[in-house]
Amino acid sequence: MTEDIKVDKVVDLKGMPCPMPIVKVSKGIKDVEVGQVIEAITTDPGALADFPAWAKTSGNEILKTDQQEGLIKFYIERKA
Amino acid sequence: MDQKTRDDLLKLFQDKLNEAMKFYLETCTRCGVCTEACHVYASMGQIKYIAAYRHEIVRRIYKKYFKRRGKIWPSVGEARELSEMALEELYEAVYSCTGCRRCMVYCPFGIDTQMIMSIAKLLLIGAHTEPEILTLLTDTSVEKGKSLELFKKGFLTGIKNLEKEVVKKWKIEAGETAIPVDVDGADLLYVALAGAVPAAAIFNAAGENWTLSFFEAVNFGAFVGDPTKTKLILDRIVDEAKRLKVKEVCICECGTAFRVMKQLSGKQPFEVSSITEVHARYLREGRIKVDKSKFREPITYHDPCQIARNGGIIDEPRYILNCLSDDFREMSPEPKYNWCCGGGGGLVALGEDNLDFRMKSAKVKADQAQETGAKILTTACENCHTQLIDLNSHYEMGVEVKFLSSMVADALMQ
Repeated sequence: MTEDIKVDKVVDLKGMPCPMPIVKVSKGIKDVEVGQVIEAITTDPGALADFPAWAKTSGNEILKTDQQEGLIKFYIERKA
Repeated sequence: MDQKTRDDLLKLFQDKLNEAMKFYLETCTRCGVCTEACHVYASMGQIKYIAAYRHEIVRRIYKKYFKRRGKIWPSVGEARELSEMALEELYEAVYSCTGCRRCMVYCPFGIDTQMIMSIAKLLLIGAHTEPEILTLLTDTSVEKGKSLELFKKGFLTGIKNLEKEVVKKWKIEAGETAIPVDVDGADLLYVALAGAVPAAAIFNAAGENWTLSFFEAVNFGAFVGDPTKTKLILDRIVDEAKRLKVKEVCICECGTAFRVMKQLSGKQPFEVSSITEVHARYLREGRIKVDKSKFREPITYHDPCQIARNGGIIDEPRYILNCLSDDFREMSPEPKYNWCCGGGGGLVALGEDNLDFRMKSAKVKADQAQETGAKILTTACENCHTQLIDLNSHYEMGVEVKFLSSMVADALMQ
């Protein structure tokens, strides 16, 4: 459940075109400590494919993905 | 720099030395014709941004290690040691160059700055001093090719959520799919970037037998200058096109993606086209019709360098624009001399880190667009679109920046 995830930083990526969501989330994850969580909010449907591959490449973990009307939220734990 | 590192980097340098590259490195007479050709120099006026100056940073290393005179008598041969300082200069030369090749059309010998800069990019990768974000984006794209199952379900859900938007632009018959994916035997594979709404509406309006690619079009391997990863990213789409047995691969509005697929994919059992070519074809064949009254304000068009000057797609956007408007205004009498937007070569993907440089270095582009008096500035490349939005805001140009494909979709007549 999302309520169980403590979010340490919100990264607002709404309206940003490719590749800005990945560029910004790469920076945003470095603003929290290892073990902390960011919530990345995007309107880019391509992020549904990009974020899992980015997490695997960068060594971080997507704890949960929420899809709402026009919005996609990723909860990402900094692992590396 | 230790000897082993230098030797490894020189091996990379040597691998790039084909006959064309040697010609480019040995031919420059410093005539100066390229001086005003670069939008960065024309906007900022610093010598280091002249194309021949950029070449010279690479050329002096070439002379030092690959030419007899430079090896024996470096000071006379203008040879330069490959050092950390040289790498810093290479970085500045290459990441202030968008690879637009405007200088190449002015050069009497046709020296290709982008090709010379590809040596610099490869050396930076070898020394691990390339922009980290470009490598991360590249590796993410490569990973997607290896792990389709990792994102397939989420991707399909995301695409399903877009279908309502497509139907708003073009109604489809009951039972039809607004965004078909993974259709074996489709005629056309469309390779998109973020979303596919306008393109999908136009394909459906034209009655195209199409399918959407699982992969994004952009090739970050080409931006960072890594030939191996460029090919891996390209092969994801080539393999998908062969698996689905499509006749045509259509690349979305992304200049680098189009140029890489068109020029580097080799002989394949499918044609490669840009979305702009396809839309012009639909209009010529009467497969779609557009409402000319939709856009009443004057329109100008920015030629994406990788699609126009480097890809040869010049007439098609103009055909589309003349179908959309009676007031299309050219920026340049000769489109091949159109200024670069200042965002290519991976510079837009570097984000806010280089925003100030991107704005200052593209003043000539902002001026060129404003001089037309147009109120709508359209283009056919996502990279250029992002840069033009930034320029519009920075220089208070007062235009509306639009994708050409979105304009076609908005003007579709049901």
